[in-house]
Amino acid sequence: MDPANTNKASTGGTGVYVCHCGTNIAGIVDVHVVVEYAATLPSVAIARDYKYLCSTPGQELIKQDIHEHGIDRVVVAACSPCLHEKTFRKAIADAGLNPYFVQIVNLREHDSWVHTDHTAATQKAMDLIRAAVRRVRIHKPLNPKRVSVHPDVLVVGGGIAGIHAALTLADAGKHVYLVERDATIGGHMAMFDKTFPTLDCAACILTPKMTAVQAHPKITLWTLSEVTQVDGYVGNYKVTVKRKPRFVLEDACVGCMECIEACVYKQAKVPDEFNMYLGKRKPIYIPFPQAVPQVVVIDPETCIEFKSGKCKKTCVEVCADRKAIDFHQPEKIETIDVGTIILATGFYTFNAKRIPYYGYGTYPNVYTALEVERLVNSAGPTGGEIVLRDGRRPKAVGIVHCVGSRDENTNRYCSRVCCMYSLKLAHLIKERSEAEVFNFYIDMRTPGKGFEEFYNRVAEEGTHFIRGRVADIYPDPQDQGRLLMCAEDTLMGVICKVPVDMVILATGLEPQPDAQEIRRRFHITCSMEGFFLERHPKLAPVSTFTDGVFLAGCCQGPKDIPDTVAQAGAAAAEALALIDAGYVEQEPYTASVLEEECSGCKTCIPICPYQAITLLEDKKKANINEVLCKGCGTCVAACPSGSIQQNFFEDQEIFAEIEGLLSYA
Amino acid sequence: MATVASPHPPGAFEITLENLFSFPQGRRVLTCLQCGTCTATCPYGVGMQYPPRRIIGMLRTGQLEKVLTSDSLLSCVACYACTAKCPRGIELTTVLLPLLKEQMLLSLPEVPSELQRALENMLRYGNPMGESPRKRAAWAKTSSIPIRILPEDPRTTDVLWFVECYTSYHPRGQDTARATAKIFQALGIDFAILGNEEKCAGECVRLSGEPGLHNTLMEYNMQVFRKYKFNSIVTSCPHAYDAFRYSYRTAGFDYELRLATTFLAQHLEALRPMLRGKAGYTVTYHDSCCMGRHNGFYEEPRTLLQAIPGIKLVEMTHNRVNTICCGGGGGGMWLDTYYKAKGYERLSERRVKEAVATGADVLAVACPYEISRFEDAVKVLGYDKRMIVRDITELLVESMEGEI
Ligand SMILES: Cc1cc2nc3c(=O)[nH]c(=O)nc-3n(C[C@H](O)[C@H](O)[C@H](O)COP(=O)(O)OP(=O)(O)OC[C@H]3O[C@@H](n4cnc5c(N)ncnc54)[C@H](O)[C@@H]3O)c2cc1C
Ligand code: SF4
Ligand code: SF4
Ligand code: SF4
Ligand code: SF4
Repeated sequence: MDPANTNKASTGGTGVYVCHCGTNIAGIVDVHVVVEYAATLPSVAIARDYKYLCSTPGQELIKQDIHEHGIDRVVVAACSPCLHEKTFRKAIADAGLNPYFVQIVNLREHDSWVHTDHTAATQKAMDLIRAAVRRVRIHKPLNPKRVSVHPDVLVVGGGIAGIHAALTLADAGKHVYLVERDATIGGHMAMFDKTFPTLDCAACILTPKMTAVQAHPKITLWTLSEVTQVDGYVGNYKVTVKRKPRFVLEDACVGCMECIEACVYKQAKVPDEFNMYLGKRKPIYIPFPQAVPQVVVIDPETCIEFKSGKCKKTCVEVCADRKAIDFHQPEKIETIDVGTIILATGFYTFNAKRIPYYGYGTYPNVYTALEVERLVNSAGPTGGEIVLRDGRRPKAVGIVHCVGSRDENTNRYCSRVCCMYSLKLAHLIKERSEAEVFNFYIDMRTPGKGFEEFYNRVAEEGTHFIRGRVADIYPDPQDQGRLLMCAEDTLMGVICKVPVDMVILATGLEPQPDAQEIRRRFHITCSMEGFFLERHPKLAPVSTFTDGVFLAGCCQGPKDIPDTVAQAGAAAAEALALIDAGYVEQEPYTASVLEEECSGCKTCIPICPYQAITLLEDKKKANINEVLCKGCGTCVAACPSGSIQQNFFEDQEIFAEIEGLLSYA
Repeated sequence: MATVASPHPPGAFEITLENLFSFPQGRRVLTCLQCGTCTATCPYGVGMQYPPRRIIGMLRTGQLEKVLTSDSLLSCVACYACTAKCPRGIELTTVLLPLLKEQMLLSLPEVPSELQRALENMLRYGNPMGESPRKRAAWAKTSSIPIRILPEDPRTTDVLWFVECYTSYHPRGQDTARATAKIFQALGIDFAILGNEEKCAGECVRLSGEPGLHNTLMEYNMQVFRKYKFNSIVTSCPHAYDAFRYSYRTAGFDYELRLATTFLAQHLEALRPMLRGKAGYTVTYHDSCCMGRHNGFYEEPRTLLQAIPGIKLVEMTHNRVNTICCGGGGGGMWLDTYYKAKGYERLSERRVKEAVATGADVLAVACPYEISRFEDAVKVLGYDKRMIVRDITELLVESMEGEI
C-alpha cells in the first residue's frame, strides 16, 4: 500500500481509491501514476491504491478515511459496478454516508481488460477518474425503494424440473400455479422405462411425485395451458394464462375410462404422440396410465362429433350421470398475480431428418432414441419387446452417438446425456433380446456420479464399442432387410461396414422450437444455441437477467435428471429467498416530472414500457408513479421540453461527468 | 511454396502449408476430432495408405514429410463428401487436400503418366485430351442451328455460353452441346460461344495439385472475357461453374453466372409447353459432386426431369448430399489406369450398379464428365440392354421433338 496522498483539505473532500485487482488492473494500468494524479484533482482529499479493495481490509480503509479525514464523497476505481457497487455503497453507509455518495469507475472491464498499451490505458484511467470526481461531488442523497413480494409462484412446464420445483415450494407453504402445455405433467421422463445410471424404473420414481402434485392443496395445476402475457416486475407479476378446453370436465371425470372403451371407434386408429407414433390411441384417450390429472381428453381433430356433429356419442352415454363430457367447453383466460416465476419448459429432440445420410424417415428400421425408449418400455406399444416396424426381432443393433450434437452442420454443443442414455439402451436391448449391440461413438462422456461404473458394466455385458463417427447408413445390397453402418474404427485404423437390423440415433437435445417466443414473453435472454441464458454461468446458474424469473432443467441447457432436479431445488430456494424476505430493494433511479416545465404534451405517456405515466387531468401535467417506474429513462430522453429528471442521472450529473472527461488537465 | 487461391469469395488471401495455422480456415485442422467420418465416407478411403483422418493427425503431429512421400492423395477424386460431412467443418476438399497434393506431386518420384499428359495437354492445348484448339468449335458445324462464335462475330451477346472441354470435344459431349443449343434457340436466348478462344477453366487442374497451371488458365480466360461484351455467363460444366464461382473471384470475376441446368430450370415455364413428347421410361438422376455437394443444386435438375411428360423419377440409395462420386473429379478423369493398377473398384461402376438396382431405364446426368464414364461402366458391367445414359438436355430435346 502506498502512503496516502493527503495533501488536500481534510474535511468535506473526496476520497479516490484505485484497486489493483491483483494484476487484472495493475498489470496494464500504472496505478501509482494514477493515484498521484488523482491526488491533484480539485476536491480530492485522499487518493490511495490497494491490492483488493473489495476485501474486508480494503473496505475498512475507506471507512477509516471517512471517520478520520471526514471525506464525504468516494470514487472507487475498480471492476464493473455490476460486481461491487453494492459492496461499496454498503461500506460507506456503514461509515455514516448516504450510500449513493460513491461513484464506481470501471477500470477493469472498460480499461485494463480491453487495452494492451500501458501508457494509453493509464491515461484513460486518469480521464475516467477525473470525470467521476466531478460527478460524485453533486450526487444527491437517495434511498433504495422497497417493493413487496407477492408470495405466489408461477412454474411453467410440468416436466421433472417443474414438478420438483412446484413440490418444494408448496411444501414450504407457498401457493404454486403449475402451468403445463400438454394434457398431463411428467415431461420426457414419463416416457422412459429405466433411468441411468442406476436403472431406477422411471415410473416408480416419477409417479409418486406426479400424484403428489395433483393432491397438494397448495398447487393449482393447469394442464393444456400456456402463458400468453407477463406484465409487471419482480415481486409483482401479472400473468395471463390461456387454458385450452379438454372437452372433459376435470371435476366431474372420475378417471374410470369407460368412455374410451365405449367410443364408437372400436379400434384405436390415431397415431399416439406419447408413444412417438409407434402405437395408436382413440379420439378420447388418456396419454398414459399414470397421467396426471387422471382425466381423459378429447382430441377435436379426430373426434367424429367435432368433425361431423353426427356421432352416436357412446362416450357420453356411458359417462351417464357423471356428465363429464362437454363438447362445448370454452377456452378460458385466467389472470393471476405472482411474485416470482420459474421456467421449466424443457427441451426438444433433434430432428434426425436433418442428417439425410443416416436414413431416418427413409429406412423404417432407423429409430430415434426417444422412439426406442418407448419400445423398451413395458407400458409401451410393444409391451417392452424389441420388435421392429416390420415385425422382426433384431439380431444386431447399432447405436449412433452425437446425432445433431458436436457438429458444425447442426449443433456445436455436446448434448451431455446421449452417451449415457445410449449405454442404457444398449443394456436394455441386451437384457430383452438376443441382439448384438454396437455403439459408435466419438468420445465417451460419462462424467457423473456412478456413470463410468455403468459404462464399465455395459462393456462387460458384451456391448461392442467402435470409436468412429458413422458416415453412412444404407441397405445392404446383398440383404435388403439389413442396414450397413459405415464408419472408420479409428482405434484399429480400419473402415468397417457393420450389418445391423436396427439403427438407433442418439439425437441431441435442442431448445424448444418456441424458445425465442417464450424468452420474449418473459423478458429474458437466450444463449447462442437458443437455450435460456442464466445470469452467471457459475455464480447465478438458475437466475436470469430479469429479477424474479428463474430457470430449472433442460430449458437452460442439456442435462440429466439428477442435475435437473438439483437445479429445480435451487430455483425454488431462490424464489423462497425473495418471498421470505417479503420485499426487494430496488434502485431509486426513478424519474419525476418537473411540473413547472411540463407542457402536458403527453409524448411520454405511451412510450413508458411500464405504464407508469398518467396525465393529471386537473393540472394537465404528466405524473410518474414512483412504484411502477423502473428507471429505464425512456421518457427522460423523449420529453421535448426536458422536464423529466431521473434520480442519479440528473442532467447536471451527466454534464459534470462529460465535462470532467473532456477537460484534459 | 505451395499456394492456393482461397475458394472463398471475396477475400483473396492465399493459404500455404507453411501459414496454414495462421488462417481461421486452416486453424480448423487443429479442431479435428479424429472421428473418421472423412475416411469412412471417402470413396477410396479403403485404398489410401493415409486416408484423410490420418493425414490430419499426421499434419498436427509434424509428420508432413511422411504424408508427402505417399501417393495416397492421388486417390482423392475431390468429391466433397468428407467436407460435407465433417462435424468440425474442415474444408478438406477445397483447401487442405489441394495444398498437400501440390507438394506431393513435387516429391513423388513419378507422376502417373496419364495425369502428366493431361496436365501438359492442358498447358499446351487448353484441353486435357490434347485436341487441337482450332477444333474446339468443330461441333458447331454439325449443329442443326447456327451457333454464333464471338471471335468471328464480336457483337454484344446476352449470354456468353462457356461450353468447356468435354462438351466441345467428346462425341457424346458434343451431343449435349447440340441439344443445349437447340433448347437455347427454342427459348429465344441470344447466345454466343468463344470458339477456339475458350480454354479449360481449370478447376480439376487446381484440385489435382497444379494451382499454378490453374492460375495460368484463369488469367487467360479472364483476358478473353474482357474482350467481349455480354450480360452473363452460362456454362455447361459444373466444374467450370465452380471455378468461376470461387477461384476466379480472386482474379476479379464478377459476371452474372449460371450453370446451364439451373439456367434452364429458371426458364422452365417457357420450356414446359414445348415438352410435348411423352416419355415412357423411368429415370434415375446422378448428383454430380461438384454441382450438388459443393454448389447445392439438388432440386433444379430434378425439376427439369419431372417437367418431361410421362417420366418417372426414382432415386438411388445414395443421392443428394450422400451421392457417390463418378470418379472423375480432382484429376480422377485422368487416373483410370493408375486406379486400375491399384486394384480399386471403378467408382463409375459402383454408381451404375446402384442406378441399375433402382430398375430405371435411363441414368440421367448433368455433368459432361459423366456421360462417357457411365456409358463405359454400363458396357463393362453388361447392362447395355437395360440402361442408357443421357444428359438432361438430351432428354429435354427428345421430348421437344416428340421422338420418344
Ligand atoms: C432419449 C432420452 C433418454 C434419457 N434418459 C435419461 C436417463 O435415463 N436418466 C437421466 O437422468 N436423464 C435422461 N434423459 C434426460 C432427461 O430427459 C432430462 O434430464 C429431463 O427430462 C429434463 O426435464 P425437464 O423438466 O427439464 O424437461 P422436459 O422433460 O422436457 O419437460 C418439460 C415440460 O414442459 C412442458 N412445456 C414446454 N414448453 C411449455 C410452455 N411454453 N408452456 C407450458 N409447458 C411447457 C412440456 O410439455 C414438458 O412437460 C434422457 C433424455 C433423452 C432424450
Ligand atoms: S364423441 Fe364419438 S368419437 Fe368423440 S370421443 Fe365420443 S364416442 Fe368417440
Ligand atoms: S453426450 Fe456423448 S453422444 Fe451426446 S453429444 Fe456428447 S459426446 Fe455425443
Ligand atoms: S471428418 Fe473432420 S473431424 Fe472427423 S476425422 Fe475427418 S477431418 Fe477430422
Ligand atoms: S474429397 Fe472425396 S475423394 Fe477426396 S478425400 Fe474427401 S471424400 Fe475422399
